[in-house]
Amino acid sequence: MTYVVTENCIKCKYTDCVSVCPVDCFYEGENMLVIHPDECIDCGVCEPECPADAIKPDSETELEPWLKLNAEFSKKWPVIVDQKDPPTDADEWLDKPSKLAWLSDAPARE
Amino acid sequence: MNTHQTLKIIDNLPDGELVTSVKHWTNRLFSFRIERPISLRFRSGEFVMIGLPGDNGKPLYRAYSIASPSWDEELEFYSIKIQDGPLTSKLQNIKIGDRVLLRPKPTGTLVLDALIPGNRLFMFATGTGIAPFASLIRDPETYEKFAEVILTHTCRNIAELKYGKVLVESLADDPLIGELIDGKLKYYPTITQENFKTKGRITNLLSNGQLFSDLCIKEMSAESDRAMICGSMGLNNDMRKILEARGLSEGANSRPAEYVLEKAFVG
Repeated sequence: MTYVVTENCIKCKYTDCVSVCPVDCFYEGENMLVIHPDECIDCGVCEPECPADAIKPDSETELEPWLKLNAEFSKKWPVIVDQKDPPTDADEWLDKPSKLAWLSDAPARE
Repeated sequence: MNTHQTLKIIDNLPDGELVTSVKHWTNRLFSFRIERPISLRFRSGEFVMIGLPGDNGKPLYRAYSIASPSWDEELEFYSIKIQDGPLTSKLQNIKIGDRVLLRPKPTGTLVLDALIPGNRLFMFATGTGIAPFASLIRDPETYEKFAEVILTHTCRNIAELKYGKVLVESLADDPLIGELIDGKLKYYPTITQENFKTKGRITNLLSNGQLFSDLCIKEMSAESDRAMICGSMGLNNDMRKILEARGLSEGANSRPAEYVLEKAFVG
């Protein structure tokens, strides 16, 4: 089992999760974070920290596509170990439906 | 190479911290203390990744609650022994002078910061889940923030209570917090598989009110009481239902509320 980052992270990217992860298993894309499923130790600390409620245990049903997406992008994006400021319009995107269309597959810019 | 990658590589090649003491409590339970790196800061109640070199040369880490308080010069851990456990099968054999690997990022939700102010703090532990509370009941801040602290500890057998019992009994004479505690800490051990004055699962003793009548304290309420839970997944799920039914909601570091529980705990 692992935890996975889901749709509501897209364009919000608050990064509260990053500051509490004991194994630094978050990877950063241009507008979303993902969890490396092989590095996540399943501690669950990040889940309640996410202001967007975007982190879920993969035991929840229908998360298979998100698990795949987390696995794929965590191999391509750089690791993120410190919390940073969210995008200035993060709050406007919070809870908007169908954000997957806005997902960028580009890695975070330095 | 960026800084983050550098950190990860350094992290994979640590020397480890010296073991300063080991105590075996039963054939299933032991505690040990290691030197604390000056750079390691943590809040009482947090856990950290500790480990040993694996058979393939790669370090093998598991999450362990730090059982010592944040002011302590050493780090204490309380562990179960699992014969075929990848880490505990080796960890149970450590001796003074051995080294234990330690990752540098303590974290967790069983911290005072994740609770909103209240009058009483209930700590519910099963088995080695008492470890984070062993830290918190030795931290003066716990008694500064709460007027009363109730620690429940449920084990299968009486012998498994000893670590917690010895610790609680030692606090009265502790020069730092002995006076601070002075009647504020109530200890409530319960046993599920042997005859004992308080027998049964804590969820039952809480639901049927025996916990409150035994301790001569009033029932829990969301207005005045806060809670921390550390035990098996079953305990977490059952306690969550009981507390939510009483109006308490789950807190986090970024969103303090009435109760918190440790999901990292296994054992």
